[in-house]
Amino acid sequence: MSEELVFMMGQFAARVPTDRRYSKNHMWAKPSARETSSERQTNGSELRFGFSAYAVRLLQDVYFLDWTVDAGTVLRERQEIGSIESSKAESSLYAPIAGRLTEFNQSLLSDPSTINVDLYGDGWLFAIEGDGESLLYPEEYLVHLEAAWKIAERTIKGQMNE
Amino acid sequence: MARRITVVVSQGQSANPDKRKLEEDLVAALLFEQGIEVAVIPHLYDLAPGSTGMLCLQGIPGDMVVLSWLFPRAAHWTLDRSGIRGRFGQTLLVSDEEEDEDEPEEAAETAADDKQRVGPRNLPNRTMYHVDLRSRNQAAPFVDEIKRIASESTVQTVSLGSWPLSSTSGGSTVSSPLVINVLGGSPANGNGNGTGSTAAPSSDVPPAVENPLITPGGPIRIEETPARRWYPVIDYSRCTNCMECIDFCLFGVYGVDGQETILVEQPDNCRKGCPACSRVCPENAIIFPQHKTPAIAGSPVENAGGLKIDLSQLFGAPSAIEIAAQERDGELVAVGREAVGLTVGIPKRQEGKQAEPKDDLDSLMDQLDSLEL
Repeated sequence: MSEELVFMMGQFAARVPTDRRYSKNHMWAKPSARETSSERQTNGSELRFGFSAYAVRLLQDVYFLDWTVDAGTVLRERQEIGSIESSKAESSLYAPIAGRLTEFNQSLLSDPSTINVDLYGDGWLFAIEGDGESLLYPEEYLVHLEAAWKIAERTIKGQMNE
Repeated sequence: MARRITVVVSQGQSANPDKRKLEEDLVAALLFEQGIEVAVIPHLYDLAPGSTGMLCLQGIPGDMVVLSWLFPRAAHWTLDRSGIRGRFGQTLLVSDEEEDEDEPEEAAETAADDKQRVGPRNLPNRTMYHVDLRSRNQAAPFVDEIKRIASESTVQTVSLGSWPLSSTSGGSTVSSPLVINVLGGSPANGNGNGTGSTAAPSSDVPPAVENPLITPGGPIRIEETPARRWYPVIDYSRCTNCMECIDFCLFGVYGVDGQETILVEQPDNCRKGCPACSRVCPENAIIFPQHKTPAIAGSPVENAGGLKIDLSQLFGAPSAIEIAAQERDGELVAVGREAVGLTVGIPKRQEGKQAEPKDDLDSLMDQLDSLEL
Protein backbone atom coordinates (compact mmCIF):
# COMPACT_ATOMS: atom_id res chain seq x y z
CA MET A 1 0.00 0.00 0.00
CA SER A 2 2.85 2.36 0.78
CA GLU A 3 4.42 3.89 -2.28
CA GLU A 4 8.07 3.54 -2.96
CA LEU A 5 10.81 5.11 -4.97
CA VAL A 6 13.49 3.11 -6.70
CA PHE A 7 17.19 3.73 -7.06
CA MET A 8 19.01 1.76 -9.72
CA MET A 9 22.36 0.32 -8.62
CA GLY A 10 23.43 -0.94 -12.01
CA GLN A 11 20.85 -3.62 -12.77
CA PHE A 12 19.62 -3.80 -9.19
CA ALA A 13 16.56 -1.82 -8.14
CA ALA A 14 16.91 -0.61 -4.55
CA ARG A 15 13.50 0.10 -3.07
CA VAL A 16 13.06 3.29 -1.08
CA PRO A 17 9.65 3.23 0.64
CA THR A 18 8.17 6.67 1.17
CA ASP A 19 6.58 5.93 4.53
CA ARG A 20 9.81 6.68 6.41
CA ARG A 21 12.92 8.83 6.40
CA TYR A 22 16.58 8.05 5.83
CA SER A 23 19.97 8.80 7.30
CA LYS A 24 23.00 9.61 5.21
CA ASN A 25 24.67 6.42 6.41
CA HIS A 26 21.98 4.38 4.66
CA MET A 27 19.55 3.54 7.40
CA TRP A 28 15.82 4.05 7.34
CA ALA A 29 14.02 5.57 10.32
CA LYS A 30 10.44 5.20 11.38
CA PRO A 31 8.66 6.05 14.62
CA SER A 32 8.66 2.97 16.86
CA ALA A 33 5.47 0.99 17.08
CA ARG A 34 5.37 1.56 20.82
CA GLU A 35 5.74 5.29 20.35
CA THR A 36 2.00 5.46 19.83
CA SER A 37 1.26 4.08 23.27
CA SER A 38 1.10 6.73 25.95
CA GLU A 39 3.45 5.00 28.38
CA ARG A 40 6.50 6.79 27.09
CA GLN A 41 6.95 10.39 28.16
CA THR A 42 10.16 11.64 26.64
CA ASN A 43 11.66 14.69 25.06
CA GLY A 44 12.59 13.16 21.76
CA SER A 45 10.58 10.63 19.87
CA GLU A 46 11.71 7.04 19.56
CA LEU A 47 12.77 6.07 16.09
CA ARG A 48 13.42 2.60 14.82
CA PHE A 49 16.33 2.22 12.42
CA GLY A 50 17.29 -0.40 9.86
CA PHE A 51 19.46 -0.75 6.77
CA SER A 52 18.15 0.66 3.50
CA ALA A 53 17.92 -1.61 0.47
CA TYR A 54 20.96 0.21 -0.88
CA ALA A 55 23.03 -0.78 2.16
CA VAL A 56 21.84 -4.39 2.14
CA ARG A 57 22.61 -4.69 -1.56
CA LEU A 58 26.19 -3.63 -0.85
CA LEU A 59 26.48 -5.96 2.13
CA GLN A 60 24.55 -8.91 0.72
CA ASP A 61 24.21 -11.89 3.10
CA VAL A 62 24.70 -10.71 6.68
CA TYR A 63 26.63 -13.20 8.81
CA PHE A 64 27.35 -11.38 12.01
CA LEU A 65 26.25 -8.31 13.87
CA ASP A 66 27.88 -7.04 17.01
CA TRP A 67 27.11 -4.00 19.13
CA THR A 68 29.79 -2.35 21.22
CA VAL A 69 27.40 -0.29 23.32
CA ASP A 70 24.60 -1.32 25.63
CA ALA A 71 20.99 -0.25 25.41
CA GLY A 72 20.55 2.95 27.37
CA THR A 73 23.74 4.55 26.06
CA VAL A 74 23.56 8.19 25.00
CA LEU A 75 25.13 8.50 21.56
CA ARG A 76 26.75 11.28 19.63
CA GLU A 77 25.95 11.42 15.95
CA ARG A 78 28.31 9.10 14.04
CA GLN A 79 29.59 7.51 17.22
CA GLU A 80 30.82 3.99 16.55
CA ILE A 81 28.29 1.55 17.93
CA GLY A 82 29.13 -1.82 16.45
CA SER A 83 30.25 -3.82 13.48
CA ILE A 84 28.88 -6.05 10.79
CA GLU A 85 30.22 -8.90 8.72
CA SER A 86 28.56 -10.04 5.53
CA SER A 87 29.39 -12.12 2.50
CA LYS A 88 30.79 -9.07 0.76
CA ALA A 89 32.00 -6.71 3.42
CA GLU A 90 33.04 -5.93 6.92
CA SER A 91 32.27 -2.58 8.41
CA SER A 92 31.95 -0.65 11.60
CA LEU A 93 28.54 0.83 12.25
CA TYR A 94 27.86 4.37 13.40
CA ALA A 95 24.97 6.15 15.07
CA PRO A 96 22.71 7.75 12.43
CA ILE A 97 21.57 10.50 14.82
CA ALA A 98 22.41 11.66 18.32
CA GLY A 99 20.19 10.39 21.10
CA ARG A 100 19.66 7.62 23.61
CA LEU A 101 19.82 4.12 22.23
CA THR A 102 16.82 2.42 23.78
CA GLU A 103 16.72 -1.02 22.25
CA PHE A 104 18.52 -3.44 19.97
CA ASN A 105 16.73 -6.01 17.86
CA GLN A 106 17.88 -8.98 19.91
CA SER A 107 16.72 -11.62 17.46
CA LEU A 108 19.31 -10.44 14.93
CA LEU A 109 22.16 -11.46 17.22
CA SER A 110 21.41 -15.14 16.79
CA ASP A 111 20.01 -14.86 13.27
CA PRO A 112 21.16 -11.78 11.39
CA SER A 113 19.77 -13.13 8.10
CA THR A 114 16.45 -11.46 8.92
CA ILE A 115 18.14 -8.30 7.65
CA ASN A 116 18.20 -9.88 4.20
CA VAL A 117 14.75 -11.39 4.46
CA ASP A 118 12.77 -8.39 5.71
CA LEU A 119 14.98 -5.33 5.71
CA TYR A 120 12.21 -2.78 6.01
CA GLY A 121 10.34 -4.71 8.71
CA ASP A 122 11.56 -7.43 11.11
CA GLY A 123 15.15 -6.74 10.09
CA TRP A 124 15.23 -3.45 12.02
CA LEU A 125 18.44 -2.87 13.93
CA PHE A 126 17.84 -0.62 16.92
CA ALA A 127 15.75 2.23 18.29
CA ILE A 128 17.03 5.65 19.29
CA GLU A 129 15.22 8.28 21.30
CA GLY A 130 16.30 11.53 19.73
CA ASP A 131 15.71 14.30 17.29
CA GLY A 132 15.23 12.95 13.79
CA GLU A 133 14.86 16.36 12.13
CA SER A 134 18.15 16.00 10.30
CA LEU A 135 16.98 12.84 8.57
CA LEU A 136 16.38 12.93 4.85
CA TYR A 137 13.04 12.62 3.14
CA PRO A 138 12.88 9.83 0.54
CA GLU A 139 13.36 12.24 -2.36
CA GLU A 140 16.39 13.76 -0.63
CA TYR A 141 17.80 10.31 0.07
CA LEU A 142 17.55 9.51 -3.62
CA VAL A 143 19.64 12.58 -4.44
CA HIS A 144 22.11 11.52 -1.74
CA LEU A 145 22.28 8.05 -3.30
CA GLU A 146 23.20 9.45 -6.71
CA ALA A 147 26.38 10.86 -5.24
CA ALA A 148 26.98 7.98 -2.80
CA TRP A 149 26.68 5.35 -5.50
CA LYS A 150 29.36 6.98 -7.65
CA ILE A 151 31.73 6.95 -4.68
CA ALA A 152 30.77 3.40 -3.74
CA GLU A 153 31.44 2.17 -7.26
CA ARG A 154 34.87 3.77 -7.19
CA THR A 155 35.60 2.36 -3.74
CA ILE A 156 34.56 -1.15 -4.70
CA LYS A 157 36.55 -1.10 -7.93
CA GLY A 158 39.54 0.43 -6.16
CA GLN A 159 39.56 -2.25 -3.48
CA MET A 160 39.09 -5.05 -5.97
CA ASN A 161 42.08 -3.86 -7.97
CA GLU A 162 44.34 -3.81 -4.96
CA MET B 1 46.07 -47.08 29.79
CA ALA B 2 46.60 -44.54 27.05
CA ARG B 3 45.35 -41.11 27.78
CA ARG B 4 42.87 -39.46 25.58
CA ILE B 5 43.00 -35.91 24.45
CA THR B 6 39.90 -33.82 24.04
CA VAL B 7 39.50 -31.39 21.19
CA VAL B 8 37.09 -28.58 21.97
CA VAL B 9 35.64 -26.69 19.04
CA SER B 10 34.45 -23.29 20.24
CA GLN B 11 32.04 -22.05 17.60
CA GLY B 12 32.24 -18.54 16.24
CA GLN B 13 29.47 -16.03 16.74
CA SER B 14 29.30 -15.36 13.03
CA ALA B 15 27.03 -17.30 10.72
CA ASN B 16 29.67 -17.01 8.01
CA PRO B 17 29.32 -20.30 6.10
CA ASP B 18 33.07 -20.53 5.53
CA LYS B 19 33.69 -20.42 9.28
CA ARG B 20 30.92 -22.88 10.05
CA LYS B 21 32.21 -25.20 7.37
CA LEU B 22 35.72 -25.14 8.82
CA GLU B 23 34.32 -26.03 12.24
CA GLU B 24 32.27 -28.91 10.87
CA ASP B 25 35.08 -30.16 8.61
CA LEU B 26 37.28 -30.37 11.68
CA VAL B 27 34.67 -32.22 13.70
CA ALA B 28 34.16 -34.68 10.86
CA ALA B 29 37.88 -35.22 10.35
CA LEU B 30 38.61 -35.75 14.05
CA LEU B 31 35.68 -37.95 14.85
CA PHE B 32 37.35 -41.16 13.79
CA GLU B 33 40.80 -40.42 15.12
CA GLN B 34 41.85 -42.85 17.81
CA GLY B 35 42.32 -41.34 21.21
CA ILE B 36 40.68 -38.04 20.31
CA GLU B 37 37.37 -36.91 21.73
CA VAL B 38 35.51 -34.02 20.23
CA ALA B 39 33.27 -31.50 21.98
CA VAL B 40 31.48 -28.67 20.19
CA ILE B 41 30.55 -25.73 22.36
CA PRO B 42 29.26 -22.20 21.74
CA HIS B 43 31.77 -19.35 21.65
CA LEU B 44 33.68 -19.96 24.88
CA TYR B 45 33.97 -16.29 25.84
CA ASP B 46 30.19 -16.03 26.05
CA LEU B 47 29.72 -19.06 28.29
CA ALA B 48 28.30 -17.99 31.64
CA PRO B 49 29.36 -19.66 34.90
CA GLY B 50 27.19 -22.70 35.47
CA SER B 51 26.06 -22.92 31.85
CA THR B 52 25.96 -26.32 30.22
CA GLY B 53 28.89 -25.45 27.99
CA MET B 54 31.00 -24.34 30.95
CA LEU B 55 30.13 -27.45 32.95
CA CYS B 56 31.05 -29.56 29.95
CA LEU B 57 34.47 -27.91 29.76
CA GLN B 58 35.02 -28.20 33.49
CA GLY B 59 34.27 -31.90 33.23
CA ILE B 60 36.90 -32.65 30.64
CA PRO B 61 39.85 -34.46 32.17
CA GLY B 62 43.36 -34.49 30.81
CA ASP B 63 44.98 -32.58 28.02
CA MET B 64 42.85 -30.39 25.86
CA VAL B 65 43.16 -28.78 22.46
CA VAL B 66 40.88 -25.77 22.24
CA LEU B 67 40.05 -24.50 18.77
CA SER B 68 38.48 -21.07 18.95
CA TRP B 69 38.14 -17.85 17.01
CA LEU B 70 40.28 -16.16 19.61
CA PHE B 71 43.92 -15.49 20.20
CA PRO B 72 45.46 -18.39 22.18
CA ARG B 73 46.25 -16.15 25.15
CA ALA B 74 42.67 -14.86 25.22
CA ALA B 75 41.21 -18.36 25.15
CA HIS B 76 43.67 -19.69 27.72
CA TRP B 77 43.05 -17.02 30.33
CA THR B 78 39.31 -16.90 29.70
CA LEU B 79 39.13 -20.57 30.64
CA ASP B 80 41.58 -20.09 33.52
CA ARG B 81 39.13 -17.66 35.13
CA SER B 82 36.54 -20.45 35.19
CA GLY B 83 38.96 -22.90 36.78
CA ILE B 84 39.70 -24.72 33.53
CA ARG B 85 43.44 -24.69 33.90
CA GLY B 86 46.58 -26.29 32.67
CA ARG B 87 50.02 -25.54 31.37
CA PHE B 88 50.07 -23.36 28.26
CA GLY B 89 50.90 -25.76 25.46
CA GLN B 90 52.92 -24.68 22.46
CA THR B 91 51.15 -24.94 19.17
CA LEU B 92 53.16 -24.82 15.98
CA LEU B 93 50.20 -23.44 14.08
CA VAL B 94 50.34 -19.68 14.09
CA SER B 95 48.94 -17.19 11.64
CA ASP B 96 51.17 -16.00 8.84
CA GLU B 97 51.75 -12.57 10.36
CA GLU B 98 53.02 -14.16 13.53
CA GLU B 99 55.28 -16.61 11.80
CA ASP B 100 58.13 -14.15 11.80
CA GLU B 101 57.99 -13.94 15.54
CA ASP B 102 60.44 -16.20 17.28
CA GLU B 103 58.30 -18.23 19.68
CA PRO B 104 56.31 -15.23 20.87
CA GLU B 105 54.58 -17.15 23.66
CA GLU B 106 57.86 -18.32 25.05
CA ALA B 107 59.12 -14.78 25.01
CA ALA B 108 56.08 -13.67 26.93
CA GLU B 109 56.50 -16.35 29.55
CA THR B 110 60.10 -15.52 30.20
CA ALA B 111 59.98 -11.76 30.05
CA ALA B 112 63.51 -10.68 30.72
CA ASP B 113 63.00 -8.54 33.76
CA ASP B 114 62.96 -9.04 37.48
CA LYS B 115 59.31 -8.19 37.96
CA GLN B 116 57.31 -10.47 40.14
CA ARG B 117 54.47 -11.97 38.12
CA VAL B 118 51.40 -13.51 39.63
CA GLY B 119 52.06 -16.55 37.51
CA PRO B 120 50.10 -19.78 37.30
CA ARG B 121 48.18 -20.99 40.31
CA ASN B 122 46.63 -24.34 41.19
CA LEU B 123 47.73 -25.84 37.91
CA PRO B 124 46.58 -29.40 37.41
CA ASN B 125 48.97 -31.76 35.69
CA ARG B 126 47.76 -31.25 32.19
CA THR B 127 48.38 -29.11 29.17
CA MET B 128 45.97 -26.85 27.34
CA TYR B 129 46.76 -26.25 23.70
CA HIS B 130 45.04 -23.28 22.14
CA VAL B 131 44.70 -22.96 18.40
CA ASP B 132 43.35 -19.87 16.68
CA LEU B 133 40.90 -20.94 13.97
CA ARG B 134 41.72 -17.76 12.09
CA SER B 135 45.26 -18.97 11.42
CA ARG B 136 44.29 -21.23 8.48
CA ASN B 137 41.40 -21.52 6.03
CA GLN B 138 41.41 -25.28 5.60
CA ALA B 139 40.83 -28.09 8.06
CA ALA B 140 43.88 -30.17 7.05
CA PRO B 141 46.61 -28.12 8.77
CA PHE B 142 44.56 -28.06 11.97
CA VAL B 143 44.06 -31.82 11.86
CA ASP B 144 47.78 -32.37 11.34
CA GLU B 145 48.62 -30.12 14.25
CA ILE B 146 46.07 -31.83 16.50
CA LYS B 147 47.55 -35.23 15.64
CA ARG B 148 50.99 -33.90 16.43
CA ILE B 149 49.77 -32.56 19.78
CA ALA B 150 47.95 -35.81 20.50
CA SER B 151 51.12 -37.83 19.98
CA GLU B 152 53.17 -35.36 22.00
CA SER B 153 50.61 -35.47 24.77
CA THR B 154 50.50 -39.26 24.79
CA VAL B 155 54.25 -39.73 24.71
CA GLN B 156 54.72 -37.34 27.56
CA THR B 157 52.45 -39.12 29.95
CA VAL B 158 52.32 -42.77 28.95
CA SER B 159 55.03 -45.35 28.67
CA LEU B 160 55.32 -46.52 25.12
CA GLY B 161 54.62 -50.11 26.06
CA SER B 162 51.02 -49.42 26.87
CA TRP B 163 50.50 -46.95 24.13
CA PRO B 164 48.75 -48.81 21.29
CA LEU B 165 45.05 -48.34 21.59
CA SER B 166 44.05 -49.44 18.12
CA SER B 167 43.90 -53.12 19.06
CA THR B 168 41.20 -52.62 21.67
CA SER B 169 38.37 -51.52 19.48
CA GLY B 170 37.41 -51.51 15.86
CA GLY B 171 36.62 -47.85 15.99
CA SER B 172 32.91 -48.26 16.47
CA THR B 173 32.89 -46.83 19.97
CA VAL B 174 35.20 -43.98 19.24
CA SER B 175 33.52 -41.27 21.23
CA SER B 176 31.17 -42.88 23.66
CA PRO B 177 33.32 -43.03 26.81
CA LEU B 178 33.73 -39.32 27.12
CA VAL B 179 30.14 -38.62 26.20
CA ILE B 180 29.14 -40.64 29.21
CA ASN B 181 31.75 -39.11 31.41
CA VAL B 182 30.99 -35.53 30.68
CA LEU B 183 27.28 -35.68 30.40
CA GLY B 184 26.91 -37.88 33.42
CA GLY B 185 28.75 -35.24 35.38
CA SER B 186 27.15 -32.24 33.80
CA PRO B 187 24.23 -30.26 35.09
CA ALA B 188 23.08 -32.86 37.56
CA ASN B 189 26.06 -33.14 39.89
CA GLY B 190 27.52 -29.72 39.88
CA ASN B 191 31.23 -29.75 39.39
CA GLY B 192 31.04 -31.86 36.28
CA ASN B 193 33.98 -33.99 37.19
CA GLY B 194 32.11 -37.12 36.31
CA THR B 195 33.41 -40.51 37.07
CA GLY B 196 36.77 -40.44 35.36
CA SER B 197 37.69 -41.76 31.99
CA THR B 198 37.08 -45.40 32.67
CA ALA B 199 33.41 -45.66 31.73
CA ALA B 200 32.78 -48.86 29.86
CA PRO B 201 32.89 -48.38 26.12
CA SER B 202 30.16 -50.98 25.72
CA SER B 203 27.58 -48.85 27.51
CA ASP B 204 25.78 -46.94 24.82
CA VAL B 205 23.11 -45.64 27.15
CA PRO B 206 24.49 -42.83 29.24
CA PRO B 207 23.24 -42.22 32.76
CA ALA B 208 21.66 -38.88 31.88
CA VAL B 209 19.24 -40.34 29.39
CA GLU B 210 17.07 -37.23 29.37
CA ASN B 211 19.96 -35.21 28.11
CA PRO B 212 19.27 -34.45 24.45
CA LEU B 213 22.86 -33.55 23.62
CA ILE B 214 24.02 -37.07 23.06
CA THR B 215 24.64 -38.40 19.63
CA PRO B 216 25.97 -41.89 20.19
CA GLY B 217 29.35 -42.23 18.56
CA GLY B 218 29.34 -38.54 17.61
CA PRO B 219 30.85 -35.50 19.21
CA ILE B 220 29.49 -33.85 22.29
CA ARG B 221 27.42 -30.92 21.20
CA ILE B 222 26.34 -28.19 23.54
CA GLU B 223 23.43 -26.54 21.81
CA GLU B 224 22.85 -23.40 23.79
CA THR B 225 22.83 -19.85 22.52
CA PRO B 226 24.38 -17.78 25.28
CA ALA B 227 23.92 -14.02 25.34
CA ARG B 228 26.92 -12.02 24.21
CA ARG B 229 29.21 -11.03 27.05
CA TRP B 230 31.92 -8.39 27.47
CA TYR B 231 34.49 -8.51 30.26
CA PRO B 232 38.25 -8.35 30.82
CA VAL B 233 40.48 -11.41 31.17
CA ILE B 234 43.74 -11.27 33.11
CA ASP B 235 46.87 -12.93 31.78
CA TYR B 236 48.56 -13.90 35.04
CA SER B 237 51.80 -14.74 33.27
CA ARG B 238 52.12 -10.99 32.72
CA CYS B 239 50.19 -9.51 35.65
CA THR B 240 52.35 -8.07 38.43
CA ASN B 241 49.42 -7.43 40.79
CA CYS B 242 50.13 -3.70 40.64
CA MET B 243 46.43 -2.87 41.22
CA GLU B 244 46.30 -0.07 38.67
CA CYS B 245 43.25 -1.66 37.03
CA ILE B 246 41.29 -1.84 40.26
CA ASP B 247 42.14 1.80 40.95
CA PHE B 248 41.14 2.88 37.47
CA CYS B 249 37.90 0.99 36.90
CA LEU B 250 34.98 2.75 38.57
CA PHE B 251 32.42 0.06 37.78
CA GLY B 252 33.48 -2.51 40.35
CA VAL B 253 34.71 -5.12 37.90
CA TYR B 254 37.90 -5.91 39.79
CA GLY B 255 38.46 -7.35 43.23
CA VAL B 256 41.07 -9.31 45.13
CA ASP B 257 41.02 -12.90 46.30
CA GLY B 258 41.99 -14.30 49.68
CA GLN B 259 45.68 -13.96 48.83
CA GLU B 260 45.28 -10.30 47.85
CA THR B 261 45.67 -11.20 44.20
CA ILE B 262 43.79 -9.16 41.64
CA LEU B 263 40.90 -10.88 39.93
CA VAL B 264 37.98 -10.08 37.67
CA GLU B 265 35.40 -10.33 40.39
CA GLN B 266 32.26 -8.99 38.70
CA PRO B 267 32.83 -9.52 34.97
CA ASP B 268 29.32 -8.55 34.01
CA ASN B 269 29.66 -5.13 35.67
CA CYS B 270 31.91 -4.26 32.76
CA ARG B 271 30.68 -1.68 30.29
CA LYS B 272 30.18 -3.15 26.86
CA GLY B 273 32.83 -2.11 24.36
CA CYS B 274 34.97 -0.31 26.95
CA PRO B 275 38.60 -1.55 27.00
CA ALA B 276 39.92 1.33 29.13
CA CYS B 277 41.53 -0.73 31.93
CA SER B 278 43.44 -2.69 29.33
CA ARG B 279 45.04 0.53 28.15
CA VAL B 280 46.19 1.54 31.63
CA CYS B 281 47.70 -1.86 32.45
CA PRO B 282 51.48 -1.37 32.39
CA GLU B 283 52.10 -5.01 31.46
CA ASN B 284 49.43 -5.42 28.79
CA ALA B 285 48.06 -8.21 30.94
CA ILE B 286 44.40 -7.32 30.50
CA ILE B 287 42.74 -8.89 27.50
CA PHE B 288 39.39 -8.04 25.93
CA PRO B 289 39.17 -11.00 23.58
CA GLN B 290 36.53 -9.38 21.35
CA HIS B 291 38.20 -6.00 20.90
CA LYS B 292 39.17 -5.00 17.39
CA THR B 293 42.72 -3.99 18.34
CA PRO B 294 44.83 -7.16 18.33
CA ALA B 295 47.05 -5.99 21.19
CA ILE B 296 43.96 -5.58 23.39
CA ALA B 297 42.37 -8.80 22.13
CA GLY B 298 45.36 -10.83 23.30
CA SER B 299 47.52 -11.19 20.22
CA PRO B 300 50.69 -13.10 21.05
CA VAL B 301 52.93 -10.32 19.85
CA GLU B 302 54.36 -8.32 22.68
CA ASN B 303 53.43 -4.68 22.87
CA ALA B 304 55.29 -3.12 20.00
CA GLY B 305 55.81 0.03 22.02
CA GLY B 306 59.50 -0.53 22.50
CA LEU B 307 60.18 -1.58 18.93
CA LYS B 308 58.38 0.86 16.68
CA ILE B 309 57.45 4.47 17.00
CA ASP B 310 53.71 4.94 16.75
CA LEU B 311 53.38 8.11 14.73
CA SER B 312 49.68 8.50 15.40
CA GLN B 313 50.58 10.37 18.60
CA LEU B 314 52.49 12.82 16.49
CA PHE B 315 49.42 13.39 14.41
CA GLY B 316 47.29 14.27 17.35
CA ALA B 317 46.11 10.95 18.75
CA PRO B 318 45.64 10.98 22.51
CA SER B 319 47.84 8.79 24.68
CA ALA B 320 46.62 5.42 25.87
CA ILE B 321 45.88 6.89 29.29
CA GLU B 322 43.93 9.78 27.77
CA ILE B 323 41.96 7.41 25.58
CA ALA B 324 41.27 5.24 28.60
CA ALA B 325 40.05 8.22 30.61
CA GLN B 326 37.83 9.34 27.74
CA GLU B 327 36.37 5.88 27.38
CA ARG B 328 35.75 5.68 31.10
CA ASP B 329 34.11 9.12 31.13
CA GLY B 330 31.85 8.05 28.29
CA GLU B 331 30.70 5.03 30.29
CA LEU B 332 30.27 7.04 33.50
CA VAL B 333 28.11 9.62 31.75
CA ALA B 334 26.12 6.86 30.09
CA VAL B 335 24.96 5.64 33.48
CA GLY B 336 24.27 9.14 34.80
CA ARG B 337 27.47 9.54 36.80
CA GLU B 338 29.95 12.36 36.57
CA ALA B 339 32.95 12.28 34.30
CA VAL B 340 36.19 12.24 36.28
CA GLY B 341 38.70 12.76 33.50
CA LEU B 342 42.25 12.18 34.65
CA THR B 343 41.56 12.86 38.33
CA VAL B 344 40.80 9.35 39.59
CA GLY B 345 42.82 6.15 39.50
CA ILE B 346 45.37 7.31 36.98
CA PRO B 347 48.41 5.04 36.98
CA LYS B 348 51.14 6.02 39.32
CA ARG B 349 53.71 5.83 36.57
CA GLN B 350 52.20 9.01 35.16
CA GLU B 351 53.01 10.90 38.32
CA GLY B 352 55.91 13.29 38.10
CA LYS B 353 55.83 13.09 34.36
CA GLN B 354 55.48 16.86 34.05
CA ALA B 355 58.71 17.36 35.92
CA GLU B 356 60.76 15.67 33.26
CA PRO B 357 62.59 17.94 30.85
CA LYS B 358 60.97 18.17 27.47
CA ASP B 359 62.55 16.13 24.76
CA ASP B 360 62.37 16.62 21.02
CA LEU B 361 59.08 14.82 20.70
CA ASP B 362 57.54 17.02 23.39
CA SER B 363 58.61 20.11 21.51
CA LEU B 364 57.25 18.71 18.28
CA MET B 365 53.96 17.98 20.01
CA ASP B 366 53.84 21.51 21.37
CA GLN B 367 54.34 22.88 17.90
CA LEU B 368 51.56 20.69 16.61
CA ASP B 369 49.31 21.90 19.41
CA SER B 370 49.99 25.52 18.56
CA LEU B 371 48.94 24.88 14.98
CA GLU B 372 45.44 24.13 16.31
CA LEU B 373 44.79 21.48 13.71
